[in-house]
Amino acid sequence: MKIIRRIVAEEFPFILACPALVWQVFFLFLPVCVLLLYSFFELIPGHWLGSFTLDYYRQIVHSRALWAILNSSILALITSTICFVLAYPLAYFLAIKVAKKLRMFFLFLLILPSWTSIVVQVYAWFFLLDKKGYLTQFLYNAGFISDNFHFLNSYGTILIGMVSAYLPFMVFPIYAVLERMDKRFLEASADLGANGRETFRRVVFPLSLPGVYAGFLLVFIPSFGEFAIPSLLGGSKYAFWGSVIVDRFLRSRDWRSGAALAILGVSIPVMLVASSFIVKKIIEIKKRREKKRLTAVKDQW
Amino acid sequence: MRRIRVENVTKSIDGEVILDNLSLEIPQGQFFALLGPSGCGKTTLLRLLAGLEGVDSGRIYLGDEDITHVPIYKRRINTVFQQYALFPHLTVFENIAYSLRVKKMSSEKIKTKTQDALKMVRLAGLDGKYPASLSGGQQQRVALARAIVNEPDVLLLDEPLAALDLKLKEEMLIELIDLQDKLETTFIYVTHDQAEALTVADQMAIMNKRGKLEQIGTPKQIYEFPTTRFVANFVGSTNIIEGTFHVRDGQQKVEVEGLTIFNVYNPLDKHWMIPGCRLFMSIRPEKIYISKTEKEGFSNHIQGRVVDIIYYGMSTRYYVKLRNGQVLIVFEQNEEHFPQEVIDYDDLVHLYFQKENVVLLEH
Amino acid sequence: MVGDKKYMSMIVQPIFVSVVYLFLYLPIIVMVLFSFNKSANPMKWGGFSLQWYTQMWNIPEMVAALKTSLIVAAASTLLSLIIGVCFVVAHKWWKSEVLFSFFYVNILLPDIVLAIGVLSIFTFSHIPLGYGSLIVGHTLIGLGFVIPIIRARFVELDPYLTEASLDLGATYFQTFRRVLIPLLMPSLVAAGLLAFTLSLDDFLIAFFCAGPKVQTLSVYVYSMVKAGVDPTINAISAVLLGVSGILILVLLSLNVIDQVLSQE
Repeated sequence: MKIIRRIVAEEFPFILACPALVWQVFFLFLPVCVLLLYSFFELIPGHWLGSFTLDYYRQIVHSRALWAILNSSILALITSTICFVLAYPLAYFLAIKVAKKLRMFFLFLLILPSWTSIVVQVYAWFFLLDKKGYLTQFLYNAGFISDNFHFLNSYGTILIGMVSAYLPFMVFPIYAVLERMDKRFLEASADLGANGRETFRRVVFPLSLPGVYAGFLLVFIPSFGEFAIPSLLGGSKYAFWGSVIVDRFLRSRDWRSGAALAILGVSIPVMLVASSFIVKKIIEIKKRREKKRLTAVKDQW
Repeated sequence: MRRIRVENVTKSIDGEVILDNLSLEIPQGQFFALLGPSGCGKTTLLRLLAGLEGVDSGRIYLGDEDITHVPIYKRRINTVFQQYALFPHLTVFENIAYSLRVKKMSSEKIKTKTQDALKMVRLAGLDGKYPASLSGGQQQRVALARAIVNEPDVLLLDEPLAALDLKLKEEMLIELIDLQDKLETTFIYVTHDQAEALTVADQMAIMNKRGKLEQIGTPKQIYEFPTTRFVANFVGSTNIIEGTFHVRDGQQKVEVEGLTIFNVYNPLDKHWMIPGCRLFMSIRPEKIYISKTEKEGFSNHIQGRVVDIIYYGMSTRYYVKLRNGQVLIVFEQNEEHFPQEVIDYDDLVHLYFQKENVVLLEH
Repeated sequence: MVGDKKYMSMIVQPIFVSVVYLFLYLPIIVMVLFSFNKSANPMKWGGFSLQWYTQMWNIPEMVAALKTSLIVAAASTLLSLIIGVCFVVAHKWWKSEVLFSFFYVNILLPDIVLAIGVLSIFTFSHIPLGYGSLIVGHTLIGLGFVIPIIRARFVELDPYLTEASLDLGATYFQTFRRVLIPLLMPSLVAAGLLAFTLSLDDFLIAFFCAGPKVQTLSVYVYSMVKAGVDPTINAISAVLLGVSGILILVLLSLNVIDQVLSQE
């Protein structure tokens, strides 16, 4: 007993870290491995694994499921782009033009919708745009639209839902970077003769790029995997990666091909994140080389 | 109270050897200073004694007990950190009482001991304050009180006065000496400031790179009788003159080519002092007498020209160039407002010093 | 600045910003408005009424779903905090930075992958889905947020504090309890609020991993929405919005207090 107490007292840091690591390995890394295994091994009743096969992947490539991945990519891309176009001016305005005291209020308003369950957010649009929804009924009664008109089940509606859900996530990183930016850069730039537009182009925008990139990741990755919004606002008209996975796992119970689809699809966000690390590393190496070059020049002096 | 003994300790950090086979014994109950240039390993040694780092090889003894592998919290050694490391969320009282609370001492005992500690560092009445509202000197004292309230065998101080300004430093140094006297705990004081070390230490050690101990002794021994060139240069300033050792008619002499033959007197016969060998003479600037006129009664005399004068208020430093090109530094205390003799730039001066004031150092 | 084209910043930008905010809030405002509509038909305003708010408590599934959501949120938040703070503290003591990146995966991967992962591992081990799988999934997400938040505060702490505590005779555990937890408390509260809200709001994990018998509030609302417009949903949504709003306000106000404290 005393030995145990002594070990606990001395190896305390290690003991503390264990639960987290165990949790992570057991519930995240292990499952991913399981999914990988599922996708590569054919289902044989009686055996949990089966024989190695690439069939499931082939199946996906040759079927509509591949389109699902493509659809999701395109949706995520369009959503990110629209979010960027709307978010940047908003973030700029909040960070630079709005008085400090008011900023908190505006930010609070911005967070609130996205901080509620996505179902609530989507329902809000649903309430407006459903066949029996407020807007549809209103326009129908006013004679603007016909009986058959559906707001829902259209790509545009899905986009509206996506953008309204993810816009704040694009705004925050950009706002954070712009807000932290030293305002004296603007003054210095103006002092050196640049007008508003040039200052923006040459000074503000390049400095804000890290925030833009963070925002892009924060929007692209979740919207890539999104299925609640398309499901509620788009009906079953469009097949997205998320919806097909739901279908495979929860309805048709075809877990093997579901796993394969998941692995295949998740490779896109993974590549995106990986590319960001690679870009960061390249910039680091470039900076280091630049530093070496400069010190070499300095030494020559 | 027990003494510390370090035996053949080696420690590397990140592949670099910081302490190389260091052995040291620190007598108990003394104010012991560890002086050395930055990076020599003195802070590392302190951390090894505290238990904050482990030795790569070697042993550490506290009294007769081998504490090499005893964990930090079990050692009866406490540290006063350079940046104090006071707990920001606890009051002064709770900071000091921390080690007592951890030991689950009774509340009354804790109160008495903490109040005593507060009184000892002259901070009585500040119990309820938080560290953030105290001045640097006050924080320093809280850190001290916190470390001594537990009555450790050894108290380690890692450049504790580094962040204080001069006046405060002087005050604190005297308080530290008084404290150590009262407590009789062994204080191990690490610093790179020789003035601090010379002031507080009963015994001191000069440490060089890789933990090499150059010399151990009382401040007076170290200052007046350095045993290596490093010590002579590091502690105070000195003049180093290179020459050849001779013995003539039972008298020790050092011949410096291009200059003259000096009379020296080193009663302790060192094994390396073989007639004909090369060595260094070390003469402290304050031991040289400078005058424009000739004087009697000195065993050594040379002439030179004043090339630089720096006024220090209390003393004046003269840079005198000798015939062979070497420049000697001479301190003269400014005893008079209107000195009889005023020495100026380019003056030809006589330098005198006694043979007993020369220290011979190995080449 | 002098010379700036005033109309751009004075007129165009504010209009643009207002339009965006309107776009975001129009559906919400309408939805909340009609939660007070006496009549169930959105086209007819039957007068102001709170009946849907009182009626929603009469639906057993709704109440059960609410209870489930709260229990799961509380449990997963607690777990995330405990596991998370232990990890952050231990990690710094180890003096290695590598393992932190492990936990970034939790936020970077699409939730759906986490969801099917949890689903698979539970099914694989033949453990039935239910509260357990839900809590596991939510804790995973919680950890992804809790660990960086606590870590941010931890690295700001004076590293010598732990050493001082150990030096004075406290064991690692005592140091953890007496020094680290009190100093980390603000970040623990903030991270806890965050994790709680995320768990309450989550839809995807609950949808996949709750199993047939357990249902959270989000999933319940989803199934109702599938059935069509219903003013009860408006009421439930409005309540959820209100709760989220309060939680965010608390979180925001905390940060202010935290900053003030850290400046002390």
